[in-house]
Amino acid sequence: MSTTTIETVLKAPTERRWLPAAIVWVVLLSAPLWLPLVGGYTALASHVLVMGLVAMALNFLLGFTGVMSFGHAAYFGLGVYGAGLTLRYISNSTLLALLFGILLGGLVGTVLGALIARRRGVYFAMVTIAFGQIFYYIAYSWNSFTGGYDGLRGFSRQPLHFGPLVIDIQNNGTLFYYFVLAVFAICIGLMAFLLASPFGRTLIAVRENQRRARFLGIAVDRHIWLSFSISCYFAAAAGALYALLNNFADPMSLHYSLSGEIVIMAVMGGMRSFWGPLVGAAVFVILQDYISSMTENWMSCIGLLFVLVVMFFPRGLLGVLQRRGSP
Amino acid sequence: MAYRILPAIGRRTLIKGGAALGALQVASPYIISARGEVPIKLGFIDPITGVLSALAASEVEGAKLAVANINASGGVLGRQLELLVEDSANDVGTGVQKARKLIDRDKVDGIFADVNSAIAYAIAGVTSEKGVFHIVPGGHTDPITGKDCKWNVFRICNTTTMDSAAISATLVKKFGKRWFFITPDYAYGQTLQEGFVKQLTAMGGTYEGDKLPINTVDFSATLIKAKAYKPDVLLNNMGGLAQINCMKQFTQFGMQKDMALGGALFELESITSVPPEAQTGWWTMEWWWNQPGVPHVAEFVAGIKKATNKPASARHWFGYVGVHSFKLAAEAAKSLEGIKMARALEGLVLPPEVALQPGKVFFRTGDHQLMPSIFTGEAHPPKGDPANVFTIAEAIAGETAGGTVAENGCKMTYPA
Repeated sequence: MSTTTIETVLKAPTERRWLPAAIVWVVLLSAPLWLPLVGGYTALASHVLVMGLVAMALNFLLGFTGVMSFGHAAYFGLGVYGAGLTLRYISNSTLLALLFGILLGGLVGTVLGALIARRRGVYFAMVTIAFGQIFYYIAYSWNSFTGGYDGLRGFSRQPLHFGPLVIDIQNNGTLFYYFVLAVFAICIGLMAFLLASPFGRTLIAVRENQRRARFLGIAVDRHIWLSFSISCYFAAAAGALYALLNNFADPMSLHYSLSGEIVIMAVMGGMRSFWGPLVGAAVFVILQDYISSMTENWMSCIGLLFVLVVMFFPRGLLGVLQRRGSP
Repeated sequence: MAYRILPAIGRRTLIKGGAALGALQVASPYIISARGEVPIKLGFIDPITGVLSALAASEVEGAKLAVANINASGGVLGRQLELLVEDSANDVGTGVQKARKLIDRDKVDGIFADVNSAIAYAIAGVTSEKGVFHIVPGGHTDPITGKDCKWNVFRICNTTTMDSAAISATLVKKFGKRWFFITPDYAYGQTLQEGFVKQLTAMGGTYEGDKLPINTVDFSATLIKAKAYKPDVLLNNMGGLAQINCMKQFTQFGMQKDMALGGALFELESITSVPPEAQTGWWTMEWWWNQPGVPHVAEFVAGIKKATNKPASARHWFGYVGVHSFKLAAEAAKSLEGIKMARALEGLVLPPEVALQPGKVFFRTGDHQLMPSIFTGEAHPPKGDPANVFTIAEAIAGETAGGTVAENGCKMTYPA
């Protein structure tokens, strides 16, 4: 890690550090007000938040630990199925579905992470893909339980009950958006807290130079495992929200192609930046939403944009602003 | 000195260009909004890409022809129709998202979806949740108008039970009772094979089979298994490009000498895409372009030919009838309200210029399933006209093949 970068991270002027976060939260909190004016809709905003959360979850591993996973869709998808199966077979509770979704994806990630964390470089990436595809094929083949290719239907998010207070997130899209935003805020808050803690600093040390970190007595494998596991819990939380958003689960939410899209979102937005993946996810989801109505080749447009970003803004869309603002 | 092959594009230039392009996108709707009457928006979701793309393209073309005809004759309730086509990419999750987008963003008054039964089935859940009028032009799986029927969902194409019941006796009579199935492992294939097995076992037959992913490319392992089983007839239940690939490999293996071919659907788009040796077998056809003496069929066939330079297929007819059914429902209800349109379409008999086939064609009240004639017959290499690849042997009334509403398990309930 260069001296300048360390200074940027540790001694960034406080007046600049809160500004991006303030802008992001104002934009997100006011989204239902201004979205219809620009041709958007609240379900799209919820989708952006969900994909933003999974991209930020991946970035916890990729951007802040320096390890590339190409199989994060598996933990996202397990979150989707965890929530869907809970609502379908166990209980009509949205919060319980969210909890079970997070636990399913997170626990599986924790167990598999122990096996994956010792691998390095391309082998790490390959193993993450391989494990991810196992869950895809299970969901695809297990017709009687997961619905197979047809997907899991017959469940719906339920209103939230807090004593006499009932919040109807089932029928009110705006309320559901704020529910997603609340879960997003909790996850992001936790993520920021972890990254600001000594544990987070250690992850950055691992990212910058694993050999030097090991010489300093840091248990590199264990930190990568912990980072992978935490990242999987956040990805699963995004997955559970996705199931609640669509009232539907399908095997493509576990597929490696989605893992690739999550990587694109993180890299396009800026993987050295905390908010970068959210920006990448917003660009990806909004472009997908609009361009896919105009042409079936929308993925080519995303690909072209990705190439342009990598060529002209190698630090991602938000990385450019950050560099300009950095001392 | 470095040579520049391309003019240097700086970051600032790129950003300025992007901003200008973005501004154009935002500015353009204000020009569009200056038009007079607001059109009625119809969302059409189909797998424009993927193994079912040829079938989907025909459905969209049929729907576009219907929209053009309706708009030319004054529209629906005095308003023009606007067709918004979305690609479900043969993926259930994408289809569901597109349905939500069309309903939430574009505020469509009707949804048409999808060739893929699983997508149609999943979208029916979304449209019923949102209370939007939904027509399924070409997704065949039974539960859509069976045990999971919904008040807002109507279907144009046959159910898998109707298609399997229409052809089973013919296959047994012509070839024998030992069958081998090659079936796609999703909603359509599962209920189709179930229908065939029910018919076959009732006639004392035996069977074997493989269920494969919908987009299977290599059928060699399954075909070897089929050859070893020595069936009287091989039922290729795959759809679109997968069915075509399976047929090609079937003929490459020389299996046409050992067993007959047959099944529910071998559509015009697929028959014309396989080698002549595979243009064989006995199948059902849900609509056929060559119906001499049936009023308005020639006009429709000419209209499709003029618009697309293709022969009219059953999929064109599905899309065409789907959009016309929306018009008939809206005009009968004098409203675009989903519940009123659904009530109005129940039991409605299609006029001859929409039905385009002999006999009474109507939406059954109890399950919202269109009841047309089902044509059974033989596929063969072209005779004269390149599209003359099927000869109708019999027209069976849909209701006879489809069973009763009670048998299919539909219990229609409307919102209070």
